[in-house]
Amino acid sequence: MADSSVRPHIKSAAFIQAFLLVPVLAALLSVFSPLPASAAALRNIVIDPGHGGLYTGAKGKFGSLEKDITLSVSLKLRTLIERSMSYRVVMTREKDLDVSLENRAAVANNNDAQVFVSIHVNGSVRKKAHGAETFFMNVNASDEETRKLAYLENTSDQLDAKIADEDQDEVKMILWDMAQTAYVRQSSRLAEMIQQELNQALRLENRGIKQAGFKVLQGVACPAVLVEIAFISNPDEERRLSDEAFQNQVAEAIFRGLSQYLKLYPQK
Amino acid sequence: MLKSPRTALLLALAAAAVGLALFFFLSDNRESIRKGGRGTEASVPENAEETDARPKRIVKLMFLNEDGEAFIPEEREITADETSPSVEAREIVAELIQGSKTGLLSAIPPETRLIQAYVTKDGTAYVDFSREFAEKHPSGTSAEMETIYAVVDSLAYNLTSVKKVCLLVDGEERETLAGHIAINRPIPPDFTLIARN
Repeated sequence: MADSSVRPHIKSAAFIQAFLLVPVLAALLSVFSPLPASAAALRNIVIDPGHGGLYTGAKGKFGSLEKDITLSVSLKLRTLIERSMSYRVVMTREKDLDVSLENRAAVANNNDAQVFVSIHVNGSVRKKAHGAETFFMNVNASDEETRKLAYLENTSDQLDAKIADEDQDEVKMILWDMAQTAYVRQSSRLAEMIQQELNQALRLENRGIKQAGFKVLQGVACPAVLVEIAFISNPDEERRLSDEAFQNQVAEAIFRGLSQYLKLYPQK
Repeated sequence: MLKSPRTALLLALAAAAVGLALFFFLSDNRESIRKGGRGTEASVPENAEETDARPKRIVKLMFLNEDGEAFIPEEREITADETSPSVEAREIVAELIQGSKTGLLSAIPPETRLIQAYVTKDGTAYVDFSREFAEKHPSGTSAEMETIYAVVDSLAYNLTSVKKVCLLVDGEERETLAGHIAINRPIPPDFTLIARN
């Protein structure tokens, strides 16, 4: 009798010991790991080169494609950040690949991005349209309405009775789809700082920031902007867009705006 | 070896076909969009106006010019139907697709056809375009906004019952027109995009 009651007790004690050992070992490992302590704490900046693969984006009269220019400028921006900032850069694509708009937002969210910068090249029906523009997400009234509605339904007691399981998923998807609504103010600050640098670097007349309902920004859960570096539909700007010096100038301006912002707002 | 002249001929024909296909593929959309209206109104019989006794009304359609970003409203006469905003919505979109009659720029690919348009009781207009609306679109953030708001503002500006507009392509909801602006939910108008005066 005594034996049988003792044995399980011993077994469970061994179990508990084993469980305690795991975190202790993990802690020891992390302390003595060869990586510098700061490396683990490095935060991520996600850069999103617009389009890619079959999705070329806007096309120029002389044959340049939005997807190629966005990648080239994004890689330059990455180099600048990695050279002088203590952030890690995660790219949504590094090659000429298709990446869905949802997956781009997912890259930001899965890497707990500090900021998300999407690089694009503009196109307009108006050939004369020109200049760099920084956008942030436009949260329109109907989105606000849907979000409130989803919130009210979620807090209702009769939620389970009223909403079928598959609809609940849909409500969650809608909320997920609107993650950016929580960061609109910070996003507009970031956009301002980048646009200011672009205006100076490219000697643009005092251009303001703009808002639009970008699909790629909707689900991003951190401050996020979309930079349109020039108009590919404008023949003069199309020529400049493939110019290495122009691309560097743009990447540097974005980099300066970004570092200013991160100095002022080191927390997300 | 015997068949070689035939093979050569076949190859030449295939090359020519590929060349032609490429030519048509490369010379497609941007040019045609710039041209604006196609003047299809010419095919309407001249006595149509006289025999049509239905009441008319003037609407304003949203086009662009090179000088600024704002829409320039162009007046157009449509057949009025006070009982059904859906009927008027169809006329407005059909006229918009025709393009400007005063040389303004249209943001809608001219190959586009209107499949259907209706306005629900809650004030949402559903407009279903043929696939060319997206496929022939030149892409680009500004170009997409120009297209989307040309439709949304033209409808909401002229039809007081329309509070937002849902754009469909070939009967289906789409994420974006060409990779930028979300169109998967109804879009409220933005009248600040229209030039004043």
